[in-house]
Amino acid sequence: MRDLHLRLPQGVPVLGGREVNAETFAFLVVGAGTFVSGAFAITSREIVHTIIYIGAFFAGLATIYFLLQAPFLGLLQLAVYAGAVTILLMFAVMVLRKRIFAREARTALSALPILLALLLGLVLVDLALRAPTYLPGPAYGVGTLSQNLFLVNGGWLLLLGLVMLSALTGGVYLARETRSSSLAREARG
Amino acid sequence: MSIPLVDLLGLSGGLFALGIFGIITRRNFILLLISVEIVMNAAILNFLAFAYYPPAPGLGGVTGQSVAVVLVGLAATEVAVGLAIVLALNRLRGTINVAEAIQLKL
Repeated sequence: MRDLHLRLPQGVPVLGGREVNAETFAFLVVGAGTFVSGAFAITSREIVHTIIYIGAFFAGLATIYFLLQAPFLGLLQLAVYAGAVTILLMFAVMVLRKRIFAREARTALSALPILLALLLGLVLVDLALRAPTYLPGPAYGVGTLSQNLFLVNGGWLLLLGLVMLSALTGGVYLARETRSSSLAREARG
Repeated sequence: MSIPLVDLLGLSGGLFALGIFGIITRRNFILLLISVEIVMNAAILNFLAFAYYPPAPGLGGVTGQSVAVVLVGLAATEVAVGLAIVLALNRLRGTINVAEAIQLKL
């Protein structure tokens, strides 16, 4: 990515005289698209549209990870989020009834949450503007990342595995418990 | 010149606020889960921003990317468990409105 950056034309003046290069310009475009996709995903009234928008949101974030010299994270984001999680959400919607979402669509947005979110966003953006200037670090390859992940932070990875195993067990238990409860209810009724 | 840190943190803050807005306003469990995912992705973007701009030697860098990998796994696990709860809630109560699910007991 850095080599590509060196080959691209530098110093394209946009945004009120602020000098941005091609990498930053790509980030601004993809970042704006990601934010808009996220906003549409939350405010859309049709749940299938929501899932399409959230897929675009995840894909946009994966592109930003590639721009941040983190190709492994970008691929992980594409595989796990834009792929698996989006499909999982779509399956969940397919097994649920349509009228549930129609009822939710009638929920009106009030002004207070919008104001609160705007205030929170302004505070966070203001904090970001006050961030000190740091120099970019070196780009890391997948080998360095895997060494750090398995040798230095191996305990965290093990803990993640245990959490995932617990979640799997909990999900299976929840499904079985629900089925037995609903069967008992049907027998009573 | 690389992507400025301010832009990365600004996008991360905006996404965080967007996710919090969704958590406050939405009552549909699936939309709530999606809002939580947006918040978690904002946090992951922050970790990657400081992995790209390490504040000090040994702080950030590749460790930030490692934390981001663990967080992606955690977030995916959370979605899986959340959807299991959604299906259970729908089967038992016929709704996925969190305002109507007032009992923890199934």
